[in-house]
Amino acid sequence: MIVVDKLCYRSKLRYVNAGEKFVFSMVTLLFCIISRSFLIAAIAFFVNGFLVVKKGGISFGRYIRLLAVPFTFLILSTLAVIVNISRVPLDAYAVPVGTFFITGSRESLWFGMQLIGTAMASVSCLYFLSLNTTMTDILDVLDQLHCPEIMIELMMLIYRFIFVLMETASSIMVSQKSRLGNRNLKISIQSFGQMGAGLFIRALRRSNALYDAMESRCYDGKIKVLSVQHPVKKKEVIMIILYEFILLAVWIGGKM
Amino acid sequence: MGAEADDIIIEAKDVCYTYEEGGPHSLNGVSLKIRRGRKVAFMGANGCGKSTFFLCCNGIYRPDSGTLFFHGRPIDYSKKGLLDLRGKVGIVFQDPDNQLFSASVYQEISFGPMNLGLPEDEVRKEIEQVIDFLEITPFRDRPAHALSGGQKKQVSIADILVMHPEVIILDEPAAALDAKHTKMVNQIVESLAREGITILMATHDMDYALAWADEIVLMHEGKVLMQADPVTVCTNQEALKMTNQEEPAVLRLYEQLVKKGILNQRKRPPVSMAELERYIEDSGASKSL
Repeated sequence: MIVVDKLCYRSKLRYVNAGEKFVFSMVTLLFCIISRSFLIAAIAFFVNGFLVVKKGGISFGRYIRLLAVPFTFLILSTLAVIVNISRVPLDAYAVPVGTFFITGSRESLWFGMQLIGTAMASVSCLYFLSLNTTMTDILDVLDQLHCPEIMIELMMLIYRFIFVLMETASSIMVSQKSRLGNRNLKISIQSFGQMGAGLFIRALRRSNALYDAMESRCYDGKIKVLSVQHPVKKKEVIMIILYEFILLAVWIGGKM
Repeated sequence: MGAEADDIIIEAKDVCYTYEEGGPHSLNGVSLKIRRGRKVAFMGANGCGKSTFFLCCNGIYRPDSGTLFFHGRPIDYSKKGLLDLRGKVGIVFQDPDNQLFSASVYQEISFGPMNLGLPEDEVRKEIEQVIDFLEITPFRDRPAHALSGGQKKQVSIADILVMHPEVIILDEPAAALDAKHTKMVNQIVESLAREGITILMATHDMDYALAWADEIVLMHEGKVLMQADPVTVCTNQEALKMTNQEEPAVLRLYEQLVKKGILNQRKRPPVSMAELERYIEDSGASKSL
């Protein structure tokens, strides 16, 4: 998560209007999920990869490593679909083990492939959004979509204070380590618990202090802020519409 | 009365405040007057009530007893009264992490003026001005968690400055800052003072307070021990000892030089190293003649 956060601030697509990026990734995501078409998934996957690596400027290796995380989970869960244990061999492949076969049907193999394809394409859509858009920009889009204010305010505060809390936690851990707080398993478990308790108390104190500070700037129960505006570019919008129409055409074409 | 009474911007009469009921008093009868446009240093040992007093000054804490006056009128604790007061008295908190609530610098700075109800384009203009003035431009697009301590401090000052308060309270602005950022903060404070903004600053740096302040308020156990010009406070050994302060180095050096007959006693002791150097140079010139 922290890696993604760091990358998105460095992305070359960061200052592209967040609404455009949001619409692009969400519509593509919808196409992938609804159509379940392997072709659409493949197109989306490669286009997203191209945009993230070539246009966004994130290194190819980094992107592949990020994709590898969900891919591992996917492979493991898809195995259940592709691999069967049965007395009767199925049509795709069959490996005899004693009186049983480890086997699979063509249909389930195809289904598994489709599943992996759709899921990876969907993940790449979300990666495109999160690797090129900062959290604050995403919150602005949610605000424009009339998400409940309380949710957006909470997300805003949580996002800010995740980092403060992590910093506090790591400095507590360093100070524990420098006093042999991880000498053996028992002591390190104890230290960890104490850190948790300390963190909790500090979080409470911090929230009080933050509330005071906000009040002293005339806070009245509603966080009113302005964001930096990145104007919508006509050319980009046309490209997005064109791209989504191509996906639509591929989908309808595949059905006929 | 008349002109002088008009000139007093903040006045406290016997202000008491306790955090917990029945607990020790954090403020134990603070009485003081602050004149408009002055640079006032608040000093005293840790836990003497400086920060608590500051939070009383813009109505975050309401005194248990005693009264605070702003422009000669007792503070109005109605919603509208507080809004008005907080627009005019701004606090820059000691730890920027307790003040910055948004990950975006721009959003952060916009919070105050938006709460004051200014129109959007005016707020945007104000933000640009303050970003320019405080030299925030190089890191304005970075998230708050990627800023250094000094940069966070700059943003937290911008937070308050953008609201154009009449009084700015700085709670140990130089705490945990490197020399470069300390200097920067001091320069900012200096230029604010030149604009006629009243500045209250908590600090532990006697040398700085001596050189900078018009007045020092020395606090001790929730009370004002003394309020006077810096030289008077800094040469009062008893008061300094009581409040865990040390006499500024420049004064000690000056006293020694006078005692040894190297330097003539002046009407006004030097308040900064630069001034002492000048004194020494002057006396050297007269001797060589």
